[in-house]
Amino acid sequence: MELHINGKSYEVHAEPDTPLLWVIRDELGLTGTKYGCGLAQCGACSVLIDGVVARACVLPVAGVVGRQITTIEGVEADPVGRRVVDAWVRHQVPQCGYCQSGQVMAATALLRETPHPSDEQISAAMVNLCRCGTYNAIRAAIHEVAGQAGKSSTALNEAAGAEDTGRAQA
Amino acid sequence: MIRNRTRVLTTLLAAGLVVACGVAWYVTRTPASPFDGAPAPQTPPAAAIQRGEYIARLSDCVACHSTPDGAPFAGGLEMATPLGSIFSTNITPDVKTGIGSYSLADFDRALRHGVARDGHRLYPAMPYPSYARFSDDDVQALYAYFVHGVQPVEQANRPTGIASPLNQRWPLALWNAVFTDGRSYQPKADGDALWNRGAYIVQGPGHCGSCHTPRGLAMNEKALDESSPQYLAGALLDGWYAPSLRGDVNTGLGRWSEQDIVQFLRSGRNAHAVVFGSMADAFNNSTQFMSDEDLRAVARYLKSLPGNPARDGAAWQYTAAAGTPPHPDAQTFMTRCAACHGPDGRGQGQWIPPLAGSAASMAHENASSINVTLNGSARVVADGIPDAYRMPPFRNQLSDQEVADVLSYVRTTWGNRGGAVKPEEVKALRERTNPASSNVIILQMR
Amino acid sequence: MNHTPDAPALEADEEGFPTGDPANISRRRFLTSSAGVAAGAFVLGVGLPVGEARAARAAAAPMPAGTRVPAFLEIRPDNSIRFQSPFVEGGQGIFTAMAQIVGEELDADPSTFIVENAPAGNDYKVLSIGMRITGGSMSVRLSYPTMRRLGALARQMLLEAGARQLRVPVSELTTEPGRVVHAASKRSVTYGQLAGVAMDLPVPAPDSVKLKDPAQFRWIGKPVQRLDVHDKSTGKAVYAIDCRVDGMLHAAVQHAPRLGQTVGGIRNEAQVKAMKGVHSVHRLPGAVAVVAERWWDARRAAEALQVDWKAPAADSTARVMPADFSTKALAAQLERMPGPGENAENVGNTEAALKAAHKQVSATYHSQFVHHAQIEPPSALARFNADGTLEVWLPNQAPELFQGDIAKRTGLAPEKIIIHSPLLGGFFGRHFLYDGGTVYPQAIALAKAVGRPVKVIWSREEEFLRDPVRPMAVVRFRAGLDANGFPVALEAESVTEGPTEGIANKRGDKMDPTALEGIAGKAYAIPNHRIAQVYAKQHATLAYWRSVGNSMNDFIYESFLDELADAGGKDPFELRLHLLQGNARLTNLLRAVGELSGGWKRGPYIAADGTRRARGVAMASPFGTEVAAIAEVSIEQGQVRVHEIWEAIDPGSIVNPAIIEAQVNGAVALGLSQVLLEEAVYEKGMPLARNYDMYPILPLARMPRVHVRIIESGAKMGGIGEPPLPPVPPAVANAVAHLTGQRVRSMPLSRHVFKS
Repeated sequence: MELHINGKSYEVHAEPDTPLLWVIRDELGLTGTKYGCGLAQCGACSVLIDGVVARACVLPVAGVVGRQITTIEGVEADPVGRRVVDAWVRHQVPQCGYCQSGQVMAATALLRETPHPSDEQISAAMVNLCRCGTYNAIRAAIHEVAGQAGKSSTALNEAAGAEDTGRAQA
Repeated sequence: MIRNRTRVLTTLLAAGLVVACGVAWYVTRTPASPFDGAPAPQTPPAAAIQRGEYIARLSDCVACHSTPDGAPFAGGLEMATPLGSIFSTNITPDVKTGIGSYSLADFDRALRHGVARDGHRLYPAMPYPSYARFSDDDVQALYAYFVHGVQPVEQANRPTGIASPLNQRWPLALWNAVFTDGRSYQPKADGDALWNRGAYIVQGPGHCGSCHTPRGLAMNEKALDESSPQYLAGALLDGWYAPSLRGDVNTGLGRWSEQDIVQFLRSGRNAHAVVFGSMADAFNNSTQFMSDEDLRAVARYLKSLPGNPARDGAAWQYTAAAGTPPHPDAQTFMTRCAACHGPDGRGQGQWIPPLAGSAASMAHENASSINVTLNGSARVVADGIPDAYRMPPFRNQLSDQEVADVLSYVRTTWGNRGGAVKPEEVKALRERTNPASSNVIILQMR
Repeated sequence: MNHTPDAPALEADEEGFPTGDPANISRRRFLTSSAGVAAGAFVLGVGLPVGEARAARAAAAPMPAGTRVPAFLEIRPDNSIRFQSPFVEGGQGIFTAMAQIVGEELDADPSTFIVENAPAGNDYKVLSIGMRITGGSMSVRLSYPTMRRLGALARQMLLEAGARQLRVPVSELTTEPGRVVHAASKRSVTYGQLAGVAMDLPVPAPDSVKLKDPAQFRWIGKPVQRLDVHDKSTGKAVYAIDCRVDGMLHAAVQHAPRLGQTVGGIRNEAQVKAMKGVHSVHRLPGAVAVVAERWWDARRAAEALQVDWKAPAADSTARVMPADFSTKALAAQLERMPGPGENAENVGNTEAALKAAHKQVSATYHSQFVHHAQIEPPSALARFNADGTLEVWLPNQAPELFQGDIAKRTGLAPEKIIIHSPLLGGFFGRHFLYDGGTVYPQAIALAKAVGRPVKVIWSREEEFLRDPVRPMAVVRFRAGLDANGFPVALEAESVTEGPTEGIANKRGDKMDPTALEGIAGKAYAIPNHRIAQVYAKQHATLAYWRSVGNSMNDFIYESFLDELADAGGKDPFELRLHLLQGNARLTNLLRAVGELSGGWKRGPYIAADGTRRARGVAMASPFGTEVAAIAEVSIEQGQVRVHEIWEAIDPGSIVNPAIIEAQVNGAVALGLSQVLLEEAVYEKGMPLARNYDMYPILPLARMPRVHVRIIESGAKMGGIGEPPLPPVPPAVANAVAHLTGQRVRSMPLSRHVFKS
């Protein structure tokens, strides 16, 4: 089987029902895409298939032959992905970082589809789990990429909420 | 006047007594078996035991007479009924607690007539109305297997949880008189050997109608063979809607080829569907063990049952969902369902079933849609290998409203015509069902 | 390459320093390997960490932990600084904090640091309590002076080297970030140029260096950017699960359904061995493993194994899970166990004061089992080397503890066991030594059995089966109020087993402080109080969970305190202020969180969006830090919606406010997840949830806005990672109780339907 990943072609030799996740991690050594649940519940394995976010742990590899696969290793080659990564760094999003490959992919997919998502759209689309609780930083970073941080009042509050660190000397 | 009345009363009482005696005789009589008086069989050859084991597979005895933690065929499976729980019995050859003291005729009476050795009537949870179709040869083989191929296990049967007086068994005899015919399968001249073999398996050991044939007010199957259009026309049972196995293009097997049916029963999956709900158990324990010839026979027979376009409607055609999912129901679908079933609802080959055009999404009855969403599905174990992908339960993640919304979306999109789901329906099923275990459960027969 | 040609005098000194010289070797190895690191390639098998070989000298020349500079620091010619962190990075930002602290005194920009987890070794036992673990929110607060001094010692060595190179007295030299400066001659030389010499100089006496005046801090106390963020945003960060070495095989396991069961037979071993890619099948204690060329093949084969599990031996001393165990039955059993238990606090005469009280209030609270549910499933990679060493890559919070345990299991000397501690994909207490809850014994056994390196990954399902849980407790309260409605007596009997007791599988000589913390140790002035534990073994394996005892006990205590306020007709905020009279630090803290929320208002009130909302308040004193939180909630379709969390945190003094804010956000999320959603339910000795499907954790859509105020009171430095969690659950529960009139005395709240 031939896979197109991040603009390159790879010949792989897995059984057709092997999840894409394990082909790219174990066979191709692209370990940026993470295993978390194997059940499409956590989103740590999020990749893009033809630009749409998908969960590699539930994609039989035979089904993605001939399609364009983007993993976290290739995300910065995508103009939106590049901006998402920059925003992730500016907002210092990751803590342990384990879910963040998936978060970045999910955010990239969202912003490609919906360049100016509302808070509701972000809440609805960003269902990847983060046990460290980086959600407010994720929201703020997405708003920043959307260039909306200053527009809607809710968005402003959100961004402000995440940044709202007072500090006092007692 | 008074005397007259007394006489009438006396006459009526006497008549009543005669009827009552007749009923009493009837409901306690021991039905005849062709094996009555037959000498106790010798230890049968291994091949006969093996054939009996195969028939036990066809009949899926293990699914009800074993529990995941228990010994094979020692019984104890709880089955909820509206009146209370009943428990499957020990059918190992243990003399004290099992069927070790059963003669072949006793065994036959239980299997084909629903009467235990002591004369009490079995609940028709035991599918003896279907098993009545068994050939004498198969009864003998099955007996050989249970007596010589199964380890005796001493495990007392659990009493039913049905309270007195509803726990009286004698009315079942009357039920039997009305709703069973007790005849073994008679080949039809207008069907070839393959078709007749299929009819025998489907109607008899396979007891497909137990789930797939609609039931009447007395919980009787409305038909026991292809002579009625009701036979295998789809039915609601235990929180699942077992779809039509007839030629209905939308809610039945109209779009399936014989080969599709064979593949489904052999591997648990094909491009149209993956077994789920109660069918996962039937597949895990029974259909995958059928021989190729028997699978072809079943397929041939099922494909001979015509659909009912008046009920089933025009043939489903895929229609793409309009634009970007605009409303929250679609969003729930995109985030919860699409990863596996595809943003277009078309599934992923044979591994993950389509929702577009699926029988469950086309059927007006929505129990299966709701149930599988709330509770997921049991692991599908084909040829000893558990499935690579399983349907998880969403009951702990989605509210009744959210389940209703997302299923309403699924059941009205891509050409699906199952219709909307109400949150009350989700609530009702949520309360009386449990999530499927994610454990791989294999019921051993040895 | 590290020696400048004009410093020949140094050779003698270098010779004189008993290095046995692994230093340059390891430096060179590091340089060859670092390109791989930067490229995000696998970092394994590329040479010893710098401290490793040097640590071997420790026996010969013992030095106090945290002083042997070369064991920690390697300064490269390009002025980048490789630092061996004694603390494991798992999201809490400790690598960055260490770079700030060491960099501050070293006078090197933290952004030039490349931080790695240090190997096992005495040099790294830098906590003031004489050990090394990453936990208990101890890393910074118990190593702060030591790590500052380490930086200062390194700076001194660079100054010495600079003096030799520039041929001027040390006293004429000073530093600027990354360089030694001779102001008089306007000459300077970079640390990178000096390091080759400096790092082989004798380390100055620890007390010979003077630490900076905090007023002069350049980086400590500033929101310095984290060092790992770009790598973690682009998939380059390497976790244990990503580790790979040449010739490695993969393994998956099927665990016994219940802890303590052993392998009886395998019905289909031949079939499983014949499955594609399968190398071999192995019986392990309480598990069967499949080794394969690829993990997915191993995983499918492991699931296919039909194992007959045997009941544990009756005389088993290890913790075993009974076949009939259920959390429901355990809760009922805990409720039935009588007091009085063993007192942790007994002040005044509680019984008499209760009798004399104007009004008595009593209530029983429950806490639930919860999972760590870190997103990275546990894994371990083991390799036996030709030189007799055993290398293990594993997620852990205490390398020496694991090294010691592996030594015990394998019979190898500890120095033959090389521990690699990759980044943790979340931990929250998951990666301590838990009997039956760790992967490395399996990896070691399999590597030994197959003669090749083996990496074992636990599937999420196997992880939830073996993840040790936070204990359950039933806490019975009785309290008495005086005629004015103020509490004068409080009794709490907690029927529970502390995590430390659970891990030891027995009661210790002393009470387990982690059992009662959050019920004991409260600051409120209630003149008579008795806080006791009734020891109750729980069968499930127990664990520390973020904020440990506080994570549940503050929910219990602070909820009950609100019940007392209501019973006495007091506002809960005012009651707390009253009970904290004379405690300036906590009074200030509580006022601060009130102010942060725009002034305390309990509600209920109608918000701008038309929802009816109320607020709740709670406080906690975990891990040396003081915290107070206010939550604003409404009810949406019968479920709790949290809109805002305001939290004030006083850790005394701080290192990085941006990281603290992130930690508060994270703790809020975990605290909310616990109070709103989480409970690990057991039936028939097994957890019902084996994945996130049945064990939902907080998603983004339910994350409230979080507002943080950091207060530096100047008190002794406290912890950061855990402290912000405990006040969050009770603040929410208190708001819900006030809004709905429904007082829920257990978590999670999702089990209830609320009227709005």
